[in-house]
Amino acid sequence: MDSRICLENLSVNFDERFRLNNIDWTIEPSQHWVITGTNGSGKSALAAVLAGVGEIESGQLSGLPSRVGLVSFEAQAELIAKELKKDDADIMDVIAIGTPVQEMIFENCADPELAAELVEKFGLSHLLDRAFRKLSTGETRKVMLIRALSSKPDLLILDEPFDGLDADTLAMLQQHLASIIDTTPMVMVLNRFDEMPSFITHVAYLEKDGHDGGKLAFKVDRNDESAFAELYQLLHLKTTDLQVPETDPASKLPALDPQQPLVKLTDATIKYGDTVIVDKLNWTIEPGKHWQLSGPNGSGKTGVLSLITGDHPQCYVNDIFVFGFQRGNGESIWQIKQFIGYVSTALQWEYRVSVSCKNVIISGFYDSIGMYTKSTDNQKKIADEWLALLGMSDRADQPFNKLSYGDQRLLLIARAMVKHPPLLILDEPCLGLDDMNRQLVLALIEKICAGKETTVLYVNHHAEDQIAGIEHYLALKKNT
Amino acid sequence: MANYFNTLPLREQLAQLAKCRFMDMSEFADGVEALKGKKMVVVGCGAQGLNQGLNLRDSGLDVSYALRPEAIEQKRQSWKNATENGFTVGTYEDLIPTADVVLNLTPDKQHTSVVKAVMPLMKEGACLSYSHGFNIVEEGMQIRDDLTVIMVAPKCPGSEVRAEYVRGFGVPTLIAVHEDNDPKGEGLALAKAYAVGTGGHKAGVLMSSFIAEVKSDLMGEQTILCGMLQTGSILCFDKMVEEGIDAGYASKLIQYGWETITEALKYGGVTNMLDRLSNPAKIKAFDLSEELKVIMRPLYNKHQDDIIDGTFSRVMMEDWANDDANLLKWRAETAETNFEKTPAGDVEISEQEFFDNGILMVAMVKAGVELAFETMTAAGIIAESAYYESLHETPLIANTIARKKLYEMNATISDTAEYGCYLYNHACVPLLADFMKGIKTDVIGKGLSVEDNGVDNARLIEVNAALRSHPVEAVGAVLRGHMADMKKIV
Repeated sequence: MDSRICLENLSVNFDERFRLNNIDWTIEPSQHWVITGTNGSGKSALAAVLAGVGEIESGQLSGLPSRVGLVSFEAQAELIAKELKKDDADIMDVIAIGTPVQEMIFENCADPELAAELVEKFGLSHLLDRAFRKLSTGETRKVMLIRALSSKPDLLILDEPFDGLDADTLAMLQQHLASIIDTTPMVMVLNRFDEMPSFITHVAYLEKDGHDGGKLAFKVDRNDESAFAELYQLLHLKTTDLQVPETDPASKLPALDPQQPLVKLTDATIKYGDTVIVDKLNWTIEPGKHWQLSGPNGSGKTGVLSLITGDHPQCYVNDIFVFGFQRGNGESIWQIKQFIGYVSTALQWEYRVSVSCKNVIISGFYDSIGMYTKSTDNQKKIADEWLALLGMSDRADQPFNKLSYGDQRLLLIARAMVKHPPLLILDEPCLGLDDMNRQLVLALIEKICAGKETTVLYVNHHAEDQIAGIEHYLALKKNT
Repeated sequence: MANYFNTLPLREQLAQLAKCRFMDMSEFADGVEALKGKKMVVVGCGAQGLNQGLNLRDSGLDVSYALRPEAIEQKRQSWKNATENGFTVGTYEDLIPTADVVLNLTPDKQHTSVVKAVMPLMKEGACLSYSHGFNIVEEGMQIRDDLTVIMVAPKCPGSEVRAEYVRGFGVPTLIAVHEDNDPKGEGLALAKAYAVGTGGHKAGVLMSSFIAEVKSDLMGEQTILCGMLQTGSILCFDKMVEEGIDAGYASKLIQYGWETITEALKYGGVTNMLDRLSNPAKIKAFDLSEELKVIMRPLYNKHQDDIIDGTFSRVMMEDWANDDANLLKWRAETAETNFEKTPAGDVEISEQEFFDNGILMVAMVKAGVELAFETMTAAGIIAESAYYESLHETPLIANTIARKKLYEMNATISDTAEYGCYLYNHACVPLLADFMKGIKTDVIGKGLSVEDNGVDNARLIEVNAALRSHPVEAVGAVLRGHMADMKKIV
């Protein structure tokens, strides 16, 4: 990039559902920025403006480079949705395989040599022939990163690049980014201050502006220490006292025998062809004993969880006891799912139906994605209480898919908790959330842990996201 | 084997064709009870076989897969599909004798050999299930008297059958009982339980007959679904290039245009598809489609007549017996068409532009949907069946063309669909030759160039009234209402 990028009093409209107002911002060729701010303030939107997204209403935008590399959850979701769309029609009878990773990376690649090197470094070599859509969340993210890095961009925009990566990969990526700072200006959206690479020179802080808008509130030079500290403080705002709403008496679950474990896996094994992902895992979850599950990308965390939830087809060839059922004896998955509240990134991607925020919460009573039954007045009342707790009452009837990524996550946690399930599975619940909402979610989980009804199974990468009340740990290793 | 339909008296033929009833949710109160504890053995593990099996098992039913010994020995894809998903897999000899229900989910063309192999192994009083009735109706397969024969046909691709189940819903499903083979009178109960097991009851179940399913399915797939879209693609592309439009643009407009315009069809029927056009363009599309309907009606009638009297299946099976000579020759020709050989250009086409510059394509879809629907209902097929086999499935094929263009579409659709598409395309291209001479870029490629968007009020009212009062719109509104929750966000 040779010239500076200038945003002068720029107002940008995103499909009439979000606006960035009066942005004044200059990026010099030698600078590297972090964009941060509260959920729904338009961090991703501002980054996307630099990639040419949005409709300019007024003001000036100049100096945008032609080759922009963009990695974001939105772009990732879009790519995955595009792959999922490759379904076959009724009168065909073939399994759609989808695009292989090889093709996703090397087709139209500006620097195949670098791409090949990164494939090696990210440990994706053995996945090149696998269909892109069969990859785990962390693996798809890596593919996105490789695509962007090897496109020889004049500007690199990384929206939450570190979320969902394990420690080794994260260090490798930070190192690679540090090696290209002289040639490639970077703009990153980050929710965690502690992940900010040392080469970052400036921070932009966004705030909400009205109901559906955002503005650029502060620009801070990293050398200005006091301003930097204040900004950090701002992101750590204390949250109000939380009270978890009651559940619906009419949706009461069948009683479980308190003497029996909730979950008992005996020699649980997951394998594809000759590749063993999980090898003879024994694990018992007793009621009231909260667990934290950790492990690097590809160690089978999600696989183990889906054995429990019944979403993994190999749950039928394993010795699995859940909620009083020995699996594979004529029970339906809905009899299992009624006892589980579940939140994950994958669920968020699958939640692609047209429903209101309130109905997303109510769908937790039915374990469905979308609503296919009429809800009761009491269920609606409870959903309203959750919306109030999340500070989202004004958005009850808005379509879920128009919300920001972080707000969607908060709603899905409410959906999982609405029935006070005996087991609550939180698969990286803080992924993609800003500091303030992260605090809110963690505080919420602590409240749930303190209660007697729900046993929590918490999965994460970040060691610092500790939750009071969790005393049992299971660390999975990568099976090589 | 004789064509089963032709052995029936006229009275019975008409009664069977007219069978189609939208079932009430309360009829599924027994859930999967009728299949509980029974052994279900699936033959074939393609997209339908695998995904239906996954759903049935997750509904608490006992499912395993019978494959041919070669598929097992060579660890073919079907074997991998079944074993990686934790199913028991065995040969016909191993599993069929233990089965209470055998689910035949192989391609039509294999039905005769599969059923001949399976039937002697089946135990007394078991049930044989189909997802398509061609083998029974057109090939006249005789099933042992003690066996119950049913059909359960989800009206969506296998992948969607699974995806909708997982989210707590299902896909619209057609069920039927072959009345000649219902010795214990349990066929309906089994078919209903099967539909519940796949989640279909939540999205709406049509109670139909083997005959109505076959005669409407064949008609839809060979006319509007594959035939019209293939013929339209080739004609529209050649016309645009002839009129000097950039070939890359033309290729993209067609490849993705069908998908975009039929997406509007899926959400709001023919009316909504036409409503996406400006008023002058709408009137133009309407007039073109009226003209097309007059020209093509005899062809639609011929297809329906040949399907009803068995000519179609007889001719197709002759080609099967001749190693698909005619079909494969035509398939190769498709690969050589200019549309197929010209890749989509690197140009931006906005969603609205596909409508504005594709007026003729909109007219073709409208004409094809309405003609197929009208011809089917005139032949005694009930409106609900006709709707599913015409309008409902058009966006699915359009989606396939967007991804794979014509050659791949033909290679992956069912044998019956491709053969029908071949017949249609051969007849329809010359039939529309004169019509296409009068076509210019204002209706395909560039859009109307009008100074103002004014139209005659009276004419617009007439056109709107005609669109909205077509019978496919009335039945469509009701059936789409049942599926409203399936709407996905694009």
